[in-house]
Amino acid sequence: MQPTSSPDIVLKAQDIHKSFGPTEVLKGISLEARNHDVISILGASGSGKSTFLRCLNFLEVPTSGTVSVHGEEIVVRKDRPGDPRQIERIRQHLGMVFQQFNLWSHRTVLENVMEGPVQVKRRSKAEAQDQAEALLARVGLADRMSMYPSQLSGGQQQRVAIARALAMEPDVILFDEPTSALDPELVGEVLKVMQDLAAEGRTMIVVTHEMDFAREVSTEVMFLHEGRVAERGPTDKLFDNPDSEAFARFISKIR
Amino acid sequence: MLELFSYGPLGWGDEILSGLWVTLCLAVTTLPVGLLLGFAVAGCSLSQNRIGRAIGVGYTTLMRGLPEILTLFIVYNGFGLLLNHVVTSLFPDFGRVELSPFAAGVVALSMVFAAFAAEVLRGAFLAIPKGEVMAGQAIGMTPRQIFWRIKLPLLWRFALPGLGNLWLNLLKDTALVSVIALDDLMRASKVAVGVTKQPFTFYLVACLLYWVFCLLSELVLEQMEKRANRGVRSV
Repeated sequence: MQPTSSPDIVLKAQDIHKSFGPTEVLKGISLEARNHDVISILGASGSGKSTFLRCLNFLEVPTSGTVSVHGEEIVVRKDRPGDPRQIERIRQHLGMVFQQFNLWSHRTVLENVMEGPVQVKRRSKAEAQDQAEALLARVGLADRMSMYPSQLSGGQQQRVAIARALAMEPDVILFDEPTSALDPELVGEVLKVMQDLAAEGRTMIVVTHEMDFAREVSTEVMFLHEGRVAERGPTDKLFDNPDSEAFARFISKIR
Repeated sequence: MLELFSYGPLGWGDEILSGLWVTLCLAVTTLPVGLLLGFAVAGCSLSQNRIGRAIGVGYTTLMRGLPEILTLFIVYNGFGLLLNHVVTSLFPDFGRVELSPFAAGVVALSMVFAAFAAEVLRGAFLAIPKGEVMAGQAIGMTPRQIFWRIKLPLLWRFALPGLGNLWLNLLKDTALVSVIALDDLMRASKVAVGVTKQPFTFYLVACLLYWVFCLLSELVLEQMEKRANRGVRSV
């Protein structure tokens, strides 16, 4: 353990660079998430925010830079996770919710939520089912459990995906534009669930275009511009009094 | 008419039935062998390794371009000779080994089946939605779990119609082994025709039998596809 890192830092990314071929998408981005932080990552499309989020759980492997979870640094070797067991273990602590939901289409709603606890955590089926039923009830889908994802609306699918992430009892949940693929009238139901999660003290990192959500729910905002952090800080300060020209322009355009 | 199909030395019923049995055994034995080989070849074609890819692509290109009957001759005659050569040079006292027509049939048909199945499987593999695989990675599943729990069921969904077609082809391609003196349904019918000079009757019966088993297969396949496509919105 490094003496500098404070004990309640759950996730720490340092100087993350990522290139795809000759194009450098991330030019050195750092982030520290403490318990109960809700960090919104904003930025125009192409600013690298989704790529950065994927670097945090190594769905993308950073070209350089380090990620550590609870002070444990992820080992990298030759552009891939150096120790498969380590990355599998660490990913269990980092839930992820995708833009396109990515539910397993051949499994029912209940099976989708049970899969992680049963297969990865080796819980008993009965225990996993109790937990899954409770989580699905929480996201308002108690009556949809035996359906398949294709039979649900986008908003319902995303709520299942959130329940699936929660079932792993993660320390941090990463949201990758969770409402961007939804019809406008379905956005609210997903944001509501996320708001509840934030209210109960979950640690969340959210890539989003929802300005109101970022402003009302997050504790900290990070604004990416052309692969760099153009602005970051406590939410209120940033929105009321932005330092950077780029962020001022960004929020004025959205409103 | 009916006495032609009676059991015993006078009728052809027992010969036809045992021929049918051989045909079915051949097809049912070939299927798993060919499927496994097909998976292996598809795995080669999809591998990052350049040599592996060359082997996979080379195999499918070569085997799909050969007439099945030629493959069968090569396996039955050529492979048999090679086997004998190897065995006698290793164990001079062992004597001759015969590659039975049945074994030759299984090997040749599996090789053909594998070449076509590999292409079906390769296409199906490429159709697996990346996001569903990523979701498995994100919760910490191992590559093995991802393969068995996510990739394989989805692969199956995309591959089943194509594999079903290949199975029907296989069922009928077994008739080729009649030329290497394996007493399958085709050969039993041919022999019966030769003796009785009643081609229409016996070929019609053979037709019906092949057709009935294809029909049964299609019914089973339909159920399997229904199961594989659970959760897919029907359009």
